[in-house]
Amino acid sequence: MKPTQPHKAFRHQHSFREWRESFCFVLPLLAFVLAFVLIPVFGTLADSLFMDVAFVKKRFIGFENYRWLLQDPGFWQSFRFTLLFVFVSVPLEMVLGLLFALLLNEPSPVRGLLRACVLLPWAIPAAISARVWELVYNYGYGLANTLWLNLSFSTEPVNWLGSAAGAFFALVLADTWKTTPFVAIILLAGLSAIPGDLYRQAMVDGAGLGRRFVRITLPLLRPTLIVALIFRTIDALRIFDMAYVLTHGGPGGSTMTLSLYGYKYFLLSDFGYGSAVSVVLFLMALLLSLAYTRLGRFGEELR
Amino acid sequence: MTEERAKGWLIAAGSGFMLVFCLTPVLYMVATSLSEDPLFLSQQAGFHLSLRHYAAVATSGSLHFFHYLGNSLVVSALSAFVTVLIAAPAAYAITRLVMPGRVLLLYFVLAVSMFPQISLISYLFRFMAALGWINTYQALVLPYIALALPLALWILISYFLQIPGELDRAALVDGCSRWQILRRVILPVAAPGIFSMLLLAFIFAFNEFLFAIMLTTDYRAQTVPVGIALFQGLHGEIPWGAIMAASTLSSIPLVILTLFFQRRIIQGLTRGAIKG
Repeated sequence: MKPTQPHKAFRHQHSFREWRESFCFVLPLLAFVLAFVLIPVFGTLADSLFMDVAFVKKRFIGFENYRWLLQDPGFWQSFRFTLLFVFVSVPLEMVLGLLFALLLNEPSPVRGLLRACVLLPWAIPAAISARVWELVYNYGYGLANTLWLNLSFSTEPVNWLGSAAGAFFALVLADTWKTTPFVAIILLAGLSAIPGDLYRQAMVDGAGLGRRFVRITLPLLRPTLIVALIFRTIDALRIFDMAYVLTHGGPGGSTMTLSLYGYKYFLLSDFGYGSAVSVVLFLMALLLSLAYTRLGRFGEELR
Repeated sequence: MTEERAKGWLIAAGSGFMLVFCLTPVLYMVATSLSEDPLFLSQQAGFHLSLRHYAAVATSGSLHFFHYLGNSLVVSALSAFVTVLIAAPAAYAITRLVMPGRVLLLYFVLAVSMFPQISLISYLFRFMAALGWINTYQALVLPYIALALPLALWILISYFLQIPGELDRAALVDGCSRWQILRRVILPVAAPGIFSMLLLAFIFAFNEFLFAIMLTTDYRAQTVPVGIALFQGLHGEIPWGAIMAASTLSSIPLVILTLFFQRRIIQGLTRGAIKG
């Protein structure tokens, strides 16, 4: 609010100039998003309606690609796998992330160091840590089987990356390792916003540790939990690097994610079909992000 | 106070688990890179300290490791720097100027940040191919900027909102233009936020894999994640020692950044996601 009201005509002119100025300020951002995100997305949408294979003339086929998708067992396998992966890994990351956030929120002389250690898996590129996990799961001499045999779960080594169930577990664990820090950091911010007085009051009233967690921490953390949940779900849906390097979608397509499946067709220069796969994934992410902007109350302080 | 003691034990045990969970793969990577026989966990081998894998990475010309690392550093730094240049004026306009539809713009940018990269890549590939830019830095830098912008915008907005409006009104009265206010008043005051944003944009670009593998073809533009992901041995046997040495070396810049600037990174992440 301005303290004094300028003359009406002047104010009009003034705000028009500001209008124009603000447009110039956001123009580069809009140009970048338009050129490298929006146009490509619409291009992919359009491509999905074409038969567009190398050495054959591109031709419009309407929704044929989508009709093929519905009958393609490979697509359904990757669709099911991606959903299963999301439903198993995201809850795991949320629970572990909450545990880590609670621990990181405790006062400790080495709190900064602890936080840095937890950030490491997040900071190291997934393609690099996937190579490390590949070695961890190595059949003959990897860390996983060394532990498995020495802790005497069994005398038989596990073929982690060579069996469908093993590869699923391997991918979930590696991805949980990589992404739990992100969840922990987001939840940590929510935790530190809870006033300490609430806990002190509850302790005076004789509420135990578990009761304080259920009655104070969880309800007040709810909005942050939802934000983390949706962020992670969208990110898990589009998983690519970890699966590409660790399992290549194998064995036998059992860990093929939707992103990998679309990529496979792009590599084969089948741009129409690959685009149709991408559009399905895009629509899934879009639905989720719409839910997100509805749930999170964004831009409130700007209104 | 038995409950307080129990809580102390729980925290100690939990923290132990947390450290083991987060650090084991990292330590395994470093140990393998330093072991004479990279398969030191197998019965016969055993661990013997050796730097031969590092020597192999450093001297092997066909491995191109330092090309990859150089490409990664240049591409990431360039992306982060240009992202600030573009996001800062936009964040300034959104928080300070009369601008119709700014809330809509924020929603829009947020939605954009959630698009799966796979739905952009085929088009970008053909766009870059048409320009003859496949296997160049700009083929990576330009899309990385676009992808980092939403997070950058949210972080900067959250910092800019904390700067009192009197500050720029005073500068306006002194006859400063909006550009001057942004450069001389806002940016210096918001320096910690700018720094957080730079760190996150840098780490994001350093991590990126899908665009890097699609839009580059050899060591002249390939980044570290691609180089290491595609690194296979010549004779069918995977050279684990060299791979882990290269992985360790390329993690060093990121480890240094997290150790020194964990507070800035955490602030950036939380501001970008939930707004401070």
